[in-house]
Amino acid sequence: MPGEWGGFGFLKRAAVAAVLIAPACAAMGVNVVSFRLAFFSDAVSHSAFAGAAVGLLAGIDPRLTVAAFGILVGAAIVSARRWSDAPTDTAVGVAMAGVVALGIALISARGGLRSSMHLFLYGDLLTAGDFEIGLAAILLAVSLVFSALAYNRLLITSFDRNLAVALGVRERAYEYACALLLAVVVCFAVMAAGLLLATAMLVVPAAAGRNFARTAGGFFWWSVAASMVSSVAGLPASAAWNTPTGATIVLFSVALFGASAIYARLLK
Amino acid sequence: MKGEALVIFDSVSVTRGDSRILENVNASVFRGGTTAVIGPNGAGKTTLLLAILGLARHTGAIRFAGGRRPRIGYVPQRLVFDRGAPVTAMDFLAAAIQRWPLWLGMRREARRRASEALERVGAGHLARSPMGRLSGGEHQRVMLALALSGRPELLLLDEPVAGVDIAGEQIFCDLLDELKKECDLTLVLVSHDLSMVTSHADHVICLNKTVRCQGPAPEVLTPENLASLYGIHMGLYRHGGGSARREESEGHSHDRDAG
Repeated sequence: MPGEWGGFGFLKRAAVAAVLIAPACAAMGVNVVSFRLAFFSDAVSHSAFAGAAVGLLAGIDPRLTVAAFGILVGAAIVSARRWSDAPTDTAVGVAMAGVVALGIALISARGGLRSSMHLFLYGDLLTAGDFEIGLAAILLAVSLVFSALAYNRLLITSFDRNLAVALGVRERAYEYACALLLAVVVCFAVMAAGLLLATAMLVVPAAAGRNFARTAGGFFWWSVAASMVSSVAGLPASAAWNTPTGATIVLFSVALFGASAIYARLLK
Repeated sequence: MKGEALVIFDSVSVTRGDSRILENVNASVFRGGTTAVIGPNGAGKTTLLLAILGLARHTGAIRFAGGRRPRIGYVPQRLVFDRGAPVTAMDFLAAAIQRWPLWLGMRREARRRASEALERVGAGHLARSPMGRLSGGEHQRVMLALALSGRPELLLLDEPVAGVDIAGEQIFCDLLDELKKECDLTLVLVSHDLSMVTSHADHVICLNKTVRCQGPAPEVLTPENLASLYGIHMGLYRHGGGSARREESEGHSHDRDAG
């Protein structure tokens, strides 16, 4: 199978992009699962509606405005959680409603934008060029460095924030850094799998990793493995079946999660 | 018990939003002793511990002996966490001990220190157990091991035996007594369990937003003081090998302090 499609430059680039994005998604996905941030991640991915629309209207590269909106929404939610007494899911719900409504309003007002929104709705790894691959490599490096610095501290924080602070963890700084990096990774996942499935790129492999792993270190590696296997299997499968790459990758990771759930139930 | 005060609360007040959590608290924690903080739900007991840790913004002053903040160990109330998380007791301790990320392996020194801390609290056999599968008593022993791994001078325990069965409570309390004898530890204990307070504390602070009374346990734990603190008639009677149990004339919640 690889021999059949490997000769195409765009598929090679898509494969390289996939194996760079997959571990970054897994590394941050571990935090999404540990801190129950799936809804947060969804709000960030859905901000691509507004981000892309604003970029297209203003004549700015929409990938930049998608990233800017993602970071803005991520920071706004973390700040609201810190400074208001509203429950976190309420703050996330309000932020998500705002960005989705803004996006829909702008897209509807300018009918011409609808076709351009296709990329952000469904994503497309096959459009990855050298620029995207370079950014994905940087993102992977940053995600791994962050995971190296923050993994143990975030693990303690996921048990109890006060305990973490008592142990000398600057949990506020780590929370902001985690949210902002997560927002950037989610924006990349939007390019790969579309805003509807971006969160799945992070959550599903990490959820499978959580089921397979027996230790905290294993949690990280199983998540990375699940993400890589899904991407490496999903890309040629999407080419063979003529299905969207993002959705196919997510389907493989959901199948892996199913296997992991059975494993956890029967053997763990 | 009287000695040098390790921690002095000088007119400490804590406000959250519109509500006053602590008001003009003046109290002392004596070095080498066990100070129990008792009071009804919402009395501000947990907040008092958080203030010592620097986690509750307050007015007034919290002073430490010699002007130096001691090394503090903290055992929080029973944690709410993902019980399916693949985190063993050894992982949990090592995460606090080593900076090197656990996904790149556990350092030999961290493993040794974590094993020692677990052995010290009689939990060596739990090293490979997932945190989510520990019983209440086992969980609290692991939390104690974590607190001790930082070689604290001051150990803060927030409802350490809440949700722990009687056997587990006894093991935990005996362990605390042993550790206190072995190390130069000062304990501050928040508890609803007056039998535990009577058996283990030598100094008691009765708190209901402000200090209602404080002093040696036998002098403070009188029916009058308890009635004034909890608003119901309460007394203590001794039975069996000298352990104390509480009696009360009407229902009283054992719920953990939310304040």
